[in-house]
Amino acid sequence: MSGSRRRISGHLVLSQAAPFIGFLASMVVLVVIVVLMKESPVKAVEAVYKFALNGAAKLGAVLSISIPYYLSGLSIAIAFRAGVFNIGNEGQYFVGGLVGALAGVYLHLPAPLHIPVVVISAMVGGALWALVPAILKAARGISEVITTIMFNNIGFALVNYLINGPLSGMAKGVSLEPQTKKILPTALFGKLNGFFRSIGWNVPDYVYLDYSLVVAILAGLVIWFLLFRTRQGFEIRAVGTSTDVSRYAGIKVRRVQVTAFLLSGALAGLIGLQEIFAIRGFYTYNIASGLGFDGIAISLIAQNHPVGVVFSSLLFGFLKQAGYGLQLSTKVPNSVTYAIQGLMILFIVAINAVIVRAVRSMRRKEQG
Amino acid sequence: MADTLLELREITKQFPGVIANDHVSFDLRAGEVHALVGENGAGKTTLMKILYGLYRPDSGTISVEGSAVSVRGPRDAISRGIGMVHQHFMLFPPFSVLENIVIGEESHHAGVLATGTQRARVQSIMQENGITVPVDARVEELAVGLQQRVEILKILFRGAKILIFDEPTAVLTPQESAELFRTFRALTSHGKGVIFITHKLDEVLAVADRITVIRQGKVVRTMDRAGVTKPMIAELMVGKPVLMEVERPAREAGATVLEVRDLKVRSPRGLAAVDGISFSVKAGEIYGIAGVEGNGQSELVHAIAEGVEIESGEILLDGSDTRKWSVRKRRENGITHIPEDRLKYGLLLPFSIATNLTLGRHDKPPFATRLQTVNQRAIRESARRIIRQFDIRTPSENTPANALSGGNQQKAVVARELAADPRLLVASQPTRGVDIGATEFIHRQIMKARTEGKAVLLVSADLDELLSLSDRIGVIFKGRIIREFTHAEAVREEVGLAMTGGKAGEERAG
Repeated sequence: MSGSRRRISGHLVLSQAAPFIGFLASMVVLVVIVVLMKESPVKAVEAVYKFALNGAAKLGAVLSISIPYYLSGLSIAIAFRAGVFNIGNEGQYFVGGLVGALAGVYLHLPAPLHIPVVVISAMVGGALWALVPAILKAARGISEVITTIMFNNIGFALVNYLINGPLSGMAKGVSLEPQTKKILPTALFGKLNGFFRSIGWNVPDYVYLDYSLVVAILAGLVIWFLLFRTRQGFEIRAVGTSTDVSRYAGIKVRRVQVTAFLLSGALAGLIGLQEIFAIRGFYTYNIASGLGFDGIAISLIAQNHPVGVVFSSLLFGFLKQAGYGLQLSTKVPNSVTYAIQGLMILFIVAINAVIVRAVRSMRRKEQG
Repeated sequence: MADTLLELREITKQFPGVIANDHVSFDLRAGEVHALVGENGAGKTTLMKILYGLYRPDSGTISVEGSAVSVRGPRDAISRGIGMVHQHFMLFPPFSVLENIVIGEESHHAGVLATGTQRARVQSIMQENGITVPVDARVEELAVGLQQRVEILKILFRGAKILIFDEPTAVLTPQESAELFRTFRALTSHGKGVIFITHKLDEVLAVADRITVIRQGKVVRTMDRAGVTKPMIAELMVGKPVLMEVERPAREAGATVLEVRDLKVRSPRGLAAVDGISFSVKAGEIYGIAGVEGNGQSELVHAIAEGVEIESGEILLDGSDTRKWSVRKRRENGITHIPEDRLKYGLLLPFSIATNLTLGRHDKPPFATRLQTVNQRAIRESARRIIRQFDIRTPSENTPANALSGGNQQKAVVARELAADPRLLVASQPTRGVDIGATEFIHRQIMKARTEGKAVLLVSADLDELLSLSDRIGVIFKGRIIREFTHAEAVREEVGLAMTGGKAGEERAG
């Protein structure tokens, strides 16, 4: 009895191994590429270390980059857990970010209230942009993969139009970049660097460790609790595992999927907070794009687990920072790190498939 | 003594942690039907996979007609005269019978198919073995029994002398089974050998010349048919005496729980699958639905338990119309359902067995708290109780469902649906694929539900199961109930005949 329990937990360890093996395999490929480019691997490792790991400033930068990655991964995770393939969190964070920014520009509130209001507005905006695809999926069975991709494009165009036209805040002679008016000071995100220094972590002021880190941590805790401690979360996971079994057990599959879809959109709305409210102080069409798509990879590597997403988003943050280092100190271009990210996902998916099959056949054989 | 066609000697096959075959010896003589029986997981399938070249044995030898061979795959097996009729047919439904038989062995001239000579050969094989199939019909138009004959012809066409049948009667009516056994006889009379894998003991006694029982990877005994009885085989299989008949205490049925009135349901394809059915099930009564698969049973079950859209008619539970009820509402009102396809509908495989045992009630106290959080402790406690009560073999309640054996997964589904304390239990093929020990157990549990005054709708392809459990049996044919029998009236042959729609004579219900 205890023997078979040990064996099962052994399987568990094995089935979690894919991300680590995949990471190592892609690092090997990176070294091979470095060598092929006639570059010294030692120099490359040094560059990576100096840029991404050396001291509080660099580690802080990695953490800072990881915040939007985390929120994006979390947004994808909740959708994928319910079997909803929300490919649209890219568009959802563009729209959500704008709605949040508008609340920051046009509402006059005291700071302790204004910041939660902009956060919630951004969530509402993101959820709103997921609403139509969610309804189309639930009512008509239309694939969300297609509708959300289309909604990404619609979202970009809409946002572009609004900040060039009715909501434009471009003052003459200031900037040619289309943007909204400046966000009111009461809604801007302050930094936590002082707090970190007070507990002995010496992050310099130019690193952005702002309130969005708090938002990310809270969102992670809430989603973890929802998924693993509540009935709604259980139903989300059940539906993602098998809609057939769920329906048979009396779970309202469509309602659960719509809920997860909207939650995913709401979380996507948070992705842009750092850039809009902490870095720029206004909304522009040029806020970093692609973070939504990165979330898909980040969540998949973490097997759609909110705790796993912590590690995979930090990994992506590290890779981005490492890429800067490689680009500056060696002949290896930054874009290699994107290729490595892609490869890593490929490795992990393939290795995972092999492991799942192996574990399954081992279990079957144990039973005869 | 007849020649030995096949001899497996001291075959051992070990998988990590388990010995699937432990020095198994088995032989097949020309002209005999040799039944191989054993519970699920006893090692029958492993042995046949070794014989068919899908596994390599760790040790032991295989010899065909006296010479040692090594079988490296199905193609190798068939070239040595070993053919297998699988439980799930390997046919191309839109192709003709002839095309299905010759596929992969087509003869052609310059790329143009030459079916003339092959047609003649197929016809002579049919004649020789007394197997008739319309060779130009498309396979999808044929009844299951005929499709199976196509499978047999396929392997005969490839020169098989040793024919392995893996649970061949699971999909057949009693009449088709009898026909298959006549085919066995025709085959053996021409010097071929038949290995018959089954767990239906009546069939073993009806057709086998010799019987080999295996248990836990070992051959328990090989014996001649003469003098063998059902309880004997069952005891050898299970390792302890088995009660073959379920005790059914006399009981007055109570008030009507389920009433179905003139129900019509269309299949997903739009055909009238249930075509005007009326019947009722009372408290403390087991109502059996007999019929060949595909005559509207699934649609009937889905309409009652899952609320799929009905075209007309009514389904009443304790007098209330259920038409607008969701599955959740149905469950709240006491309808539980043992689904036919338990792998597809029954279990969330990656989730713990505890979670699975409370699925469907997970949204109710005590499993969900008032704040709609999950009460893991209540779930685990309830699961431990159910595991004990229903004797589910699992290392712990936290084990994922996919780590359990098939039989225990089945038991878990049955246990869950009974533990929910239903008003009406809809049991669809409750013992399909379940071994004897578990079957006996499930039958006793269903009977216990009846004793406790629950209404049971039992849909099964296993006529023996229906005959021994049901208080009344309705025979479904082409979406209608064409005859109803009481327990006392129900005779195997008559019910079987009604299942084929044949000479129903006095149509009663429906």
